[in-house]
Amino acid sequence: MSTYDTSHIRNFSIVAHIDHGKSTISDRILELTHTVEERDMESQLLDTMDIERERGITIKSNAVRVAYDADDGETYQFNLIDTPGHVDFTYEVSRSLAACEGAVLVVDATQGVEAQTVSNALLAMNANLDIVPAINKIDLPSAEPERVRSEIEEALAIPAEDAVCVSGKTGEGIHDLLESIVFLVSPPAGDAEAPLKALILDSYFDAYRGVVATVRVFDGRIRPGETLYMMQADSSFLVDDVGVKRPLETPLPELGVGEVGYVVTGLKDPGSVHVGDTLTYDARRTPEPLPGYREAKPMVFTGLFPIDNKEYENLRDALEKLRVNDPSLTWTPETSVALGFGFRVGFLGLLHMEVVKERLEREFDLDLIGTSPSVDYHVFTTAGEMLDIKSPQDLPKPEKIDRIEEPYLRASVIVPPEYMGAVIQLVIEHRGIQDNMVYLSDNSVEITFYVPLAELILDFFDQLKSRTKGYASLDYEFADYRPSDLVKLDILLAGEEVDALSFIVHKDKAYTLARGLCDKLKEIIPRQQFEVPIQGAIGNKIISRSTVKAVRKDVLAKCYGGDISRKRKLLEKQKEGKKRMKSIGTVDVPQEAFLAVLKVGDE
Amino acid sequence: MSSGCVDVNPEASWRSRLHLDCAQALYVHLPFCVRKCAYCDFASWETSIGDPLARQYVRALEERLAEAADAGLMRCCKTAYVGGGTPTMLGASLLGGLVGKLRGACPGLQELTCEANPDSLSDEVLRDLVDAGATRLSIGVQSLVDEELHALGRLHDARAAAERVASAVRSGLDVSADLMCAIPGQTPASWHHTLTATMNLGVGHVSVYPLQIEDGTELARAVGDEDPSWNAPEVQAARMDQARDVLEAAGFARYEVASYALPGKACAHNQAYWTGLPYLGLGTGASSMLTREGYDRLRSLCTKLPDLPDGIARVRLTMTSSRFEFVHALGFDDLSYDIECLDESQAAAEDLMLGMRMTSGIEAGLLEHSRNVLGRERVDDVLADACKRGLAAWRGGRLAPTHDGWLLGNELYGMLWDLVKEGVQGLSL
Repeated sequence: MSTYDTSHIRNFSIVAHIDHGKSTISDRILELTHTVEERDMESQLLDTMDIERERGITIKSNAVRVAYDADDGETYQFNLIDTPGHVDFTYEVSRSLAACEGAVLVVDATQGVEAQTVSNALLAMNANLDIVPAINKIDLPSAEPERVRSEIEEALAIPAEDAVCVSGKTGEGIHDLLESIVFLVSPPAGDAEAPLKALILDSYFDAYRGVVATVRVFDGRIRPGETLYMMQADSSFLVDDVGVKRPLETPLPELGVGEVGYVVTGLKDPGSVHVGDTLTYDARRTPEPLPGYREAKPMVFTGLFPIDNKEYENLRDALEKLRVNDPSLTWTPETSVALGFGFRVGFLGLLHMEVVKERLEREFDLDLIGTSPSVDYHVFTTAGEMLDIKSPQDLPKPEKIDRIEEPYLRASVIVPPEYMGAVIQLVIEHRGIQDNMVYLSDNSVEITFYVPLAELILDFFDQLKSRTKGYASLDYEFADYRPSDLVKLDILLAGEEVDALSFIVHKDKAYTLARGLCDKLKEIIPRQQFEVPIQGAIGNKIISRSTVKAVRKDVLAKCYGGDISRKRKLLEKQKEGKKRMKSIGTVDVPQEAFLAVLKVGDE
Repeated sequence: MSSGCVDVNPEASWRSRLHLDCAQALYVHLPFCVRKCAYCDFASWETSIGDPLARQYVRALEERLAEAADAGLMRCCKTAYVGGGTPTMLGASLLGGLVGKLRGACPGLQELTCEANPDSLSDEVLRDLVDAGATRLSIGVQSLVDEELHALGRLHDARAAAERVASAVRSGLDVSADLMCAIPGQTPASWHHTLTATMNLGVGHVSVYPLQIEDGTELARAVGDEDPSWNAPEVQAARMDQARDVLEAAGFARYEVASYALPGKACAHNQAYWTGLPYLGLGTGASSMLTREGYDRLRSLCTKLPDLPDGIARVRLTMTSSRFEFVHALGFDDLSYDIECLDESQAAAEDLMLGMRMTSGIEAGLLEHSRNVLGRERVDDVLADACKRGLAAWRGGRLAPTHDGWLLGNELYGMLWDLVKEGVQGLSL
């Protein structure tokens, strides 16, 4: 064993249900440890993506090192790993936890234990982490720390008598939280002299330095100039640089045992580094790799097409680059009669889909059309084959289908008892089957049920929020495949079937959805020179219709002297608007039409 | 240089107008009204009759005009237009004086139009306009139904409008009436009445526009977020079609999307705007269109105007000074401008678009010139597409808008403007 001292290192994550205040607590920790001075403080400092700051959500984990001068007179090295709270990104949380010895479990003092509080706590317990419960937002008048304390004990079986009461907003209690971390979280164990064993927990691509990996060293140490071997990728690279984020990148002479930091690989191929892989010395390899991660499985699939088909290659490159730090992203080429060449991309959920689409458009300057999300159907043909169908257009003709099975989730909703009826009603409407119901405390009930994933990705979550006045929280995991009576709903514009608008739906819901979709499309598609009939069809049978009336007249403005410039500007605006539309046959269709199915039922 | 002799080569003849170094048309703007109408978003302000500011403003206009004439900008000017606002509210002597100055500055004038509102078009004003050399009046009648006039916030009633128009016709001037459709309270019957009663007054020219609810106007505030049924696109289309039927049956020919005239009574000044001829605009908010050569001549009066980059063929320039600044300016250099610079291809696309406002469509010279400048294949493809979409058709060797092309003008103009690859550069001085 080496004499390398890890007793002053604390590696921990902050986990919580979405909006319970993880990022604000992280911000306060950075401030209190003088990692970032108050004047330089931007809120949500660890959320580096524009999308994260704008939406106030954390999507990517981010590791930062802070030095904490504790009350015992010693200085501790804290490696803080911020994690996402949305259910779509559960896999990110489990990745982060694998690099930690402890987890701060944040619970909102007004909301109490919610669905992802439960799932995150379970993840942390299963990873054998030391848990530091913290009750946040105690500055709010509606805060009920005592109620929440008992909920943590009853619902999670975590001793909470010492739970720290904090306010990320005012900074109250943050010092106590840091002291608790020193006392409750174990220091890392490891052998500094053993062959290197380090986990790649994240990576990103930098145009100048190549792939930069965030790693946790379990055994050994990493120094610049060493040749390292990636065990799963079966390839090596020379370390250009190592260091830590404070939160700006700070180079160091080495990353020691138990530490978390970054490694500049110099590798120029974004696909060459796999998150979850184990790093070791090329010359002196560790016999056993680390367990790595359970691969995150995409659950929702959608077509992404560049509006301008010339951008196809750029879209592929952009997806490759995003995959470097988002290994859950998968895609296969897809061709649509209406939209040309694109990709069928797999996502962890709808939020993940929105975020990726937005990043592609912003960071890579692409104009994209996304089509209605679909799930992965198992289609059993009369010939006895099983087909994985992720796109409605790949569905075989009805006469060739023996049966279709669809993915079901086991979902849980935590809600105050007065909304129980509303939730059960909603579950039934979405073809759900109730499984269990448990009182977590006097004022919170957990309802578990099985529900088709396809139902959940449409409007379940929005409905749940509105019918429970925002009190319900939802968590889910994949359960199994079950047979369902499903049909393909086609949409015809001006008599032509538009493959990109097709949708797989349960037979009992087809009529309602077809009617809703025709009406929604009528709102979205602007009036054209000719009348545009919109029809919903199953097979050859038309089951709904609506009509976009022809535009009879556009604006006739005077066009004397100065009006000519004005007219031209108006035409240029008109042109910009058209650029964002896709011509399908003779019909100009706006981008959002292809996601209209998600808006059916909205006012 | 200027027109006058018929060139054998139509393209060379068209191209010659793109290098005229003087204005073919002159516009002067008088931004004063007794009352601003509910729908109006023009550059005009409410002023009481006899306001000294108006007198000072006219004096400033006359000074700038004299300077432009001295610089040679007016020597081939054939038409002039006094617009507003309400020019007739200046009163007989002030307005007559201004018209006389225009005559003096532009020796070759063949048409001189003055805008008028019935409430301020007194017999005295009429007489002074005739004496000073005006040839044409454009009267803002809008409707001959009292309730409709009231809803628009007009100052006159139907009886006064009819009486003033008749008086103008008797004065011997060419008279045009501006009418408005798709207005509150209008019905097919009331519109029919307005159209026929206007023609019966003896006018030789009628302009017809659907009311547009412009942002920032009193009308827009009154309407709010609603799309009023009286202004629906279908109603606008039906009224425009009705106007065409009624006016054409009475011998009026539609020569532009919104303009109808008896033989020989079409407005030459407005046609200059739509046929690539350079014009000079003077006054608050007034716009000019100059060739590179004409712009260089204006620069001799206004040293702060920048030298044009290579490749610029046409300049559009708007005077952005307020009426107070205009009054106090000692010369063109004291005024502010918005300038747009168009290259040859942008100018050609603009001319194609404007040509499509006219019944006569795109003339042969312009078509050939556009093909040379924008690419023969691209131009022909777009025109073929416009025909395929039913927006344009070939008539007597010229491409002209169809009925649909007129109703859906923005589609058609948009296709033509899209021939241009880059947007127009602008600057403010």
